[in-house]
Amino acid sequence: MDVITGLTFKNMLLAAARHLDQQKDTVNALNVFPVPDGDTGTNMSLTLNAAIKELEMTGSVEVNRLASLLARGSLMGARGNSGVILSQFFRGFSDGLAHVQDGITGEDLAHAFVTASQTTYRAVMKPVEGTMLTVGRVAAEYAAAASEAEANAEGVLKAALEGARTALADTPNILPVLKQAGVVDAGGQGLLVIFEGFLAGLTATPEELEQLLAQQVAVQTAQAAPQLDEVVSVNKYCTEFIILGTGIDTQHVRRELEPQGESLIVVGDLDVVKVHIHTAHPGQVLEFCGQFGDLTEIAIDNMKLQNQEFASHEENHHLDFSTGTNVVDFPTDQVRGNPKPIGVVSVVSGDGLAEIFRSLGVDYVVAGGQTMNPSTEDLVKAVNSVNAESVIILPNNKNVIFSAQQAKELTEKQVGVVPTRSVPQGISALMYFVAEDSLEDNLAAMEEGMREVKTGEVTYAVRSTVAGDLHIEERDIIGLAEGKIAVVGATPTGVAQDLIRKMVDEDSSVISIYYGADLEPEAADELDELISAEYPDCEVEVHSGGQPLYYYIVSVE
Amino acid sequence: MVGRIHVVTDSGSDLPAELRQSLGIHVVPLTVQFGDEIFKDGVEISTPEFYTRLRGGSSMPSTCQPSPADFVEVYERIAEPGDTIVSIHLSSKMSGTYQSAVLASTMIDPKITVKAVDSRAASLGIGVQAVRAAQVVQAGGSVDDVLDVVQSTIDCLQVYFVVDTLEYLQKNGRIGLASALVGTLLNIKPVLTLVDGQVAPFEKIRGKAKAMKRLRELSAEFRERYPERQLKAAISHADSYAEASALAELLPEMAGVDSDVILGEIGPTIGVHTGPGTIALFLYGV
Repeated sequence: MDVITGLTFKNMLLAAARHLDQQKDTVNALNVFPVPDGDTGTNMSLTLNAAIKELEMTGSVEVNRLASLLARGSLMGARGNSGVILSQFFRGFSDGLAHVQDGITGEDLAHAFVTASQTTYRAVMKPVEGTMLTVGRVAAEYAAAASEAEANAEGVLKAALEGARTALADTPNILPVLKQAGVVDAGGQGLLVIFEGFLAGLTATPEELEQLLAQQVAVQTAQAAPQLDEVVSVNKYCTEFIILGTGIDTQHVRRELEPQGESLIVVGDLDVVKVHIHTAHPGQVLEFCGQFGDLTEIAIDNMKLQNQEFASHEENHHLDFSTGTNVVDFPTDQVRGNPKPIGVVSVVSGDGLAEIFRSLGVDYVVAGGQTMNPSTEDLVKAVNSVNAESVIILPNNKNVIFSAQQAKELTEKQVGVVPTRSVPQGISALMYFVAEDSLEDNLAAMEEGMREVKTGEVTYAVRSTVAGDLHIEERDIIGLAEGKIAVVGATPTGVAQDLIRKMVDEDSSVISIYYGADLEPEAADELDELISAEYPDCEVEVHSGGQPLYYYIVSVE
Repeated sequence: MVGRIHVVTDSGSDLPAELRQSLGIHVVPLTVQFGDEIFKDGVEISTPEFYTRLRGGSSMPSTCQPSPADFVEVYERIAEPGDTIVSIHLSSKMSGTYQSAVLASTMIDPKITVKAVDSRAASLGIGVQAVRAAQVVQAGGSVDDVLDVVQSTIDCLQVYFVVDTLEYLQKNGRIGLASALVGTLLNIKPVLTLVDGQVAPFEKIRGKAKAMKRLRELSAEFRERYPERQLKAAISHADSYAEASALAELLPEMAGVDSDVILGEIGPTIGVHTGPGTIALFLYGV
């Protein structure tokens, strides 16, 4: 095929999303550490699917329009570090196709691959080779070479795919951690899967394509949906519609609707305005907005009755309404009274830990972290719903830091990210939060504060591996100190005890233990007794964290 | 002839009895109330008795400032016409004691002059002001000399204290700006300070041992702030002698404070508001 039409381009993206969805477990299995989190495949799949939802809502077959929706949707839906990098890849890809309307030539496609790769490198502060960055770059180099040799679009894509395969196979030679774990880079694998999907979408016969796209996309979001606001029971009707009128004052509409509910979004231009609100009185909202023009695409859902679908439903709330500008307009939720100077958003999973974070002054807890990394959009929503002028985000997971930094660029609020990599680091940082101080002073103090604590985590191995001189079988209990496997054993409590031994030194004075949802309080009590007896000079604290997957999260300070 | 100068404080100053007596400092007691029972601090209830009751008691005690009449009684007993009384009291932001003293000063023999001072502090923060005042009196200083020394102590006094729980400060309404620290689920030892004469949060620390370490660091930081001055410290504690004396021993070496650290017990007046387990550190330069 010489030139890729808009329709084919869309099919390629859809095919890539389906293909990645089917392959995501394979990608997940490539984690360097065999811990049940940091799911690269899931994150990339959810990121791409967020973009696909945008594409599915448009009837447009203009290449650059589709590309810009791809960029926008993936940007908002980005989850985890791999998702953020993928979103930057699509952003560059879209930039590269900005001038293309009807058909993508080989040269266009090669150019898009090159700008995509360049954008990913620019987005990462310290680019590491042997990762998806390298895979994207080598793919672009092969694509460019093919284009030089006058290859058509299909030829360029095949060349990119070959480049990606070559680069991926080489990743263990570049990054020793990959070689030791016996895996290739997971993000790179995810990117390769996407390219394979592109080719399938491009070359499939109509029947094959139909079959490919008919495959069900598993609903992923249910396991760690963004936390339902407590207000759902009151403002239970998710109400969405479009106003078609002339000279609509969106500011006025927003102001009037603000007291009517939560999660208000009013976007658009003078003639077409999209409204989204969670309200107790959808009728009043419709009645009010009807005065500005014709209402269309009205959808009212009862969220209370749809809790399970809520997560995926929420994901539909992307702003497919681009009026050419790039403003992401999420008005503030809960505007009641004057905003305080600084609010805090924290990413935590587990009821107990969420309560603890709230008790330390966190305004909004975004569910997630270990099980599922929240999307950039989840974080942007959280930031905007805190009634504060500036907001500090505590990611509490190394795989969320990047999305948090990306969220910073997508809100009008002043946002600072304290790059906490664990729950204990988040708690330690909060010890230094002073609501009266400036954002800068708080960020400096909290970043210093987070380093005062050592983090230990006890979970199970999702596959057999070797870490240093430790031989680990699947389902073994493993203890990680500062994110690295330090202990392996048979029981969570035994592993926790060994792990704490490795963490405590003569300067330690406080040992805090947060036990997970999969443990009985008695097990934690037993650990409490063992540790208290072993370290009489330390204060030992045990709390129910309620976190999934991690039997214990331990901090030593 | 020039009259004598007397130093008066209240039972919120937590001065050890020997030190008080050797310097001739007079103390006006506040009263502590457990339910219907009312005790004059240090007169009708001792500090050990108080903590036994506090730990075992079901009702939260409260305090009551001395009445102006209580002050009048003391002032007229100790002073003769022509004398001056320097009367240093609990921060007016936390107690009406200073107000009672000011009122009393207008009710006594006009030939006795009362200089009432709002210490803007509590516990040994007041105590050290009274001690320095009495030392100037003993050295033959004038009333102005005494007031100058008290003012300069107030100006550089830095207070840090660690409480086991914020419950007592909160229930007695003395929590000031530290209310934001209430309600945490973790075992946090708040380090508090006094700002403008009232309680303010300073830091949140996990665990008592770390909090004690932090007090030592803060002393060293204070040393750096006043390099040209001689650094003095006082420590008061609520039923926590071991931790307080350990801190007192470490401070001279670690933070360069003079070795004559005043160690006092937090009595009923202050103890009602801080609860047992409190350690308070007072730093000032001379």
